[in-house]
This record gives sequence, C-alpha cells and structure tokens, in this order.
Amino acid sequence: MGAPALSVDADGDLIARYLGGEELAAAELVRRHASALARFIAAHGAPEDELEDLTQETLFKAFRALGTFRGGASFRTWLLAIGGNVLKDRRRRWRRDQVVALTPDIRDPSGDPGLEAEAGWTAERLEQGVAKLARLQREVFLMRAQQGLGYDEIASGLGISEGAARVHYHHAVKRLKAWIA
Amino acid sequence: MDRMNEGMPPEIGTAWKALEARASERAARVDVERVTARVLERLRREGAVEPRLRWMSPAVLRAAAAVVVLVAAAAVVRVATERSGQAARLPVGIPAMDSLSSHQLEAVLQAAGEVAPAADTVAPAASGGSLDDLTEAQLETLLASMNGAEG
Repeated sequence: MGAPALSVDADGDLIARYLGGEELAAAELVRRHASALARFIAAHGAPEDELEDLTQETLFKAFRALGTFRGGASFRTWLLAIGGNVLKDRRRRWRRDQVVALTPDIRDPSGDPGLEAEAGWTAERLEQGVAKLARLQREVFLMRAQQGLGYDEIASGLGISEGAARVHYHHAVKRLKAWIA
Repeated sequence: MDRMNEGMPPEIGTAWKALEARASERAARVDVERVTARVLERLRREGAVEPRLRWMSPAVLRAAAAVVVLVAAAAVVRVATERSGQAARLPVGIPAMDSLSSHQLEAVLQAAGEVAPAADTVAPAASGGSLDDLTEAQLETLLASMNGAEG
C-alpha cells in the first residue's frame, strides 16, 4: 500500500513544481506516464500510426488543464480519463476509416478462425469487442484489467460511483465473453 | 493482486493476455522522449494554461453570462431611447428650419450641442456631440434645410 501512495505524492510534487513554472517537472511526468498511457490507448484499438500523436495530445491537454486537477484520483488515472476523452473525439474518424476493414468480420463473425492461430484470432476478436463496448464500459474495463486500478480509483477518475464502476466492468466482461464466443 | 482475473472468464483472460501483449508491443514503439519534447514544445507555443474562461465553474460562467446580457440590454435600451429622442426632435424641428436664417440655425445647433451632452451622461461632453449622433440621412436633411434657408 505504501508504494502507490509514495508514487502519488511524487506526482503531486512534480505537478506543484510544474505549476510553479518548472518545465522539467512536466518532462519527468511525461516520461513517467507516457508508456502506460500509450498502452491504454493502444488497447482501445487506436491505429498504430496515431498512437504517438494521441499520447502526445492527451498529455498536452492534461498539462494545460493541470490547474483543475484536484487529486481525487491519482495523476495516472486522471490522465487515462483525459485519454478516454481524446479517444472519443478521434473515434468518429476511426469509425469512418475502419468501416471497410472491419466489415467482413462484422458481417461474418463465425468466419473460419482456423486460418489464423487461435490466440491471435481471439485477441483480434477481443480488440474488436473492446472497441465496440460502450465508452464507460471500455474505460472501466481497461483501467481495471490493464492498469490494475481499484474500483474506487476508477470511480474517482471517471467521476462515477464505485458501484457504477463495478457494474460497468462486469457488463464489459459479459459482452466481451459473448463477442468472442 | 491480479485484478485482471477477477470475474473474468478464462477464455477472455487468455485473449486479453494476447491483446495486452499486442498493445504493449505497439506502445513500446512510441518514442517517449519525442513525445516529451513535442508536449513541452506545444506548451511553450500554445500556452501552458488553458484560457481561463474554459475552466471557470458553470456557476461563474452563468453569472458572467447574466452580466453580459444585462449590459447588452442596457446598451440596447440606451440606443433605442436616444434614437427615439432624436426621431422626436428632428421631424418636428426640420420643417421649421426652412424659415430660419443661418444665424438662427447656428443658434439652434449651438443649443442642441448644449442639450445633448446633458442627456448622455456617459459620452464625454463635446460641442458637436449631438451632431455626431445623427445619421447620415439626418445630417443631409439638416444641411439641405440650412442651404435652403440661406438661399
């Protein structure tokens, strides 16, 4: 329990230093969280060629809004929530671009999976399933399954109740299970 | 604690591991140092803080909007009042000007110049203040009246 608290405090110090005008503190925060953020965004099904740009965009927006960070959730969780908003804005474009690529699978979900390795196929199906989840279900699922966050932390980051976070997670798992079945 | 497996069926757990491995692989190609440099560069270029207005609370924004509406309404009422005042003065005054001499007209204009600033407590007092408030058409009418009186 001690390690996460220390980590949050350290982020808090860096945030205070950045808000005090120390640019290097921002650089340290980016180095500390960019990889996890990129993984979170990648698991949403973001195209690889946009991954770096999305990571950068999320961090930029976060630093510009840093004055509103109240510390209810950790900086990492807050950052992921902003990443979710950035992804929401981009999703329209992906939907438009991915229509052609995804159509064969969507039309024929029982296509011959034997042509691909089972693990690769299910991972691909799961990625599609994650992308098809309702936004809050997707974010809660990824925050918990990928980032290992507790429901209380997820709830603070997304501005929902802990019970709602729990429900979203279980609905997400249920839908994903049905999707890859 | 492995939260990933909590309530997650094994078939999803297996697929999830594969998906997570792919996500990690993609994320590993993100150049963190380049991202850092670009974020800092954008913060320098576009400003480190979002414009204040965007981060005001809804209550403050509502109050600010109410003030703007009140000020705008007051301005509209003032302009409408001034225009109606001019509209009432000019049509009555202009026909009578035909019969005035140039000296009498100057006296009328001087009087108008003295009265108008008193009606407008905001605008700085100026000798030609009331004339500035007239529209182009009203000024032309007034000048035509003056020419007619002199001719």
